[in-house]
Amino acid sequence: MSDNKGKKVIIETGEAGKGTSELSESANTEELEERALSVFSSERNEDITALVFCLITTFLVLLFTKWMV
Amino acid sequence: MPRVKDHMPVLIMGGLLIIYGLIVKTGILLPMMKYLHTHKAMDLQMTLTLIVGGIVIVGALINSVKEPGNSILDRFFLQPLGGIVLILVMAMAIRWYLEPLVKIMSDSLQPLLGFNVYKVLNLNYVVLGILAGVLLTNTWGIPKFAEAGVKCARFVLKMGVIMLGARYSFAELAKLGVYSVWLVGFFVLGTVFLVLWLGNIFKQPKSMTGVLSAGMGVCGVSATVAVAPVVKAKSAEMAYTIGTILSFGIICMFVFPTIGHMAGMNPVQFGAWAGTGILNSAQVAAAALAFNAVDIKTLKVAEIFNITRVLFLPIIVLVLATWFGKESGQKLSFKSVVIDKFPIFILGFLLLFGMSSVGMFSPPSHYKGQYIDVSYNDRTQVTSEEWETLKKAMAAGEFSALNPEQLAAVENLIEQRQIAGNYAERNDGKVFDRVGRARMAELEGVLAAAKAKELTLSSDVKSGIKHAIKQVHKKSKTIVTLTDFMIWFFAFGLIGLGMQITKKAITQAGGWPIVMGVIAGITKAALSFFVVLWLVKDVVLN
Repeated sequence: MSDNKGKKVIIETGEAGKGTSELSESANTEELEERALSVFSSERNEDITALVFCLITTFLVLLFTKWMV
Repeated sequence: MPRVKDHMPVLIMGGLLIIYGLIVKTGILLPMMKYLHTHKAMDLQMTLTLIVGGIVIVGALINSVKEPGNSILDRFFLQPLGGIVLILVMAMAIRWYLEPLVKIMSDSLQPLLGFNVYKVLNLNYVVLGILAGVLLTNTWGIPKFAEAGVKCARFVLKMGVIMLGARYSFAELAKLGVYSVWLVGFFVLGTVFLVLWLGNIFKQPKSMTGVLSAGMGVCGVSATVAVAPVVKAKSAEMAYTIGTILSFGIICMFVFPTIGHMAGMNPVQFGAWAGTGILNSAQVAAAALAFNAVDIKTLKVAEIFNITRVLFLPIIVLVLATWFGKESGQKLSFKSVVIDKFPIFILGFLLLFGMSSVGMFSPPSHYKGQYIDVSYNDRTQVTSEEWETLKKAMAAGEFSALNPEQLAAVENLIEQRQIAGNYAERNDGKVFDRVGRARMAELEGVLAAAKAKELTLSSDVKSGIKHAIKQVHKKSKTIVTLTDFMIWFFAFGLIGLGMQITKKAITQAGGWPIVMGVIAGITKAALSFFVVLWLVKDVVLN
């Protein structure tokens, strides 16, 4: 385990995908790469925020194009 | 203001947006907007640029005086502000200038080339947005002030995917012929699983395989965009998939009509084959018209098969979300591999699809917000001048070359002054609707025959019939507005994702997506060819 921690891998990240970063080999690189390309700390937060924004948008659109017309 | 120099580009962009908004307000740009057909969006252009410009200047000024922190305001607004405004400016330039220009140039090149480049190459804001992003990142590079903002792209793209759900309705799928649903369903699912299997054989990443399977199976570009965040596809993989689909479609568009003629297919058979085998809606229509420009049936059947295929998108999204959750998880319980890993934003897509299917946005039987309403309505009538023209043409025997069904439809249009069912059957909604729609189809046939010079009609008569058909085609304002939001979200998200596609990323993906796409595409085209020849005779619609 300690050997794994010592080894480094390079993933595509930074500069919105243009650069690279060095990480421990045991790190979840896919997850880190994903997070490096997002402003959210987790995918769950990103999804829930998108869902809430869209529901608010849909409600407002329904309000102004259907219910109040 | 210690850091005002660092934020100068953002301040300048904010200022330029406000100046642009003020110029639009004066009306100086109206003639150009009319030429570009963007004048209807004049108010939107003014409001959006003034509001965004104002917010950007305020944000940039705060950034100039405030120490960078880690609060929600910092992480989600102040830090990414530069990138957000850069992408927004690019999205505005594409939506309001580049896309309309490409459309106009394609229209003028159509007589020379024989097809519409804009439609066939799908050069809309989706492809243009990705290309603009790729171009920027691989030439000048992403400016330093915009780096953080580019990270918002995937989030905004997800919002676009959620909004996409509002455009489809299960009621429309249920209304289509059972035959076409089975046939298309078999090929859609078959292609998806074939690509997934090929991906396994060629040892391709799951994200690449997932996004390619949706693109090849369902409806090309929109399916690719919708599924990309579900299977966590990288930007380059998405771009590769779109490239593969469009190139394959262009070849099909030219090859399909030739093979169809050589095999002696009838209009219905060819329509079914093109609608099943070709992926892009515009390419399906182009192939159907190339096969037979006179018989409206070819295009109609192709469109029905195409719509059926597109309507499978929600099902495929669900299937791939489950597949991806299962594939990327370890062998644990169903809950931990599927439910826990199921992308939450897809629930939003399915929720809007459900709301759309029960008729919250428009009558449930709609497709992309458009629906046909043949009920009695004063606003659906043709104008009194058009009505008189049609009556005179009938008295003068101008319609004598029509077949009996077409003639009956024209007679009824003159009698009722609008396309509708039979008055006596007005209480039986289903029958009334079916009769009205059948009359509309016959009138469309009359116009197609006139266009192909099979019969001669005066331009006034043609315009009267065209207007009557247009009157029964309605658009849901709610879905149109939701679609506008979707378009802006997609434009923003795709420009941002395009900025993440470097030359290196494209090289890394290699040529496998093209190989897999071509194998799957040819298999689907060949299989559907034989199945259509074997099963589809004349009547495929209910």
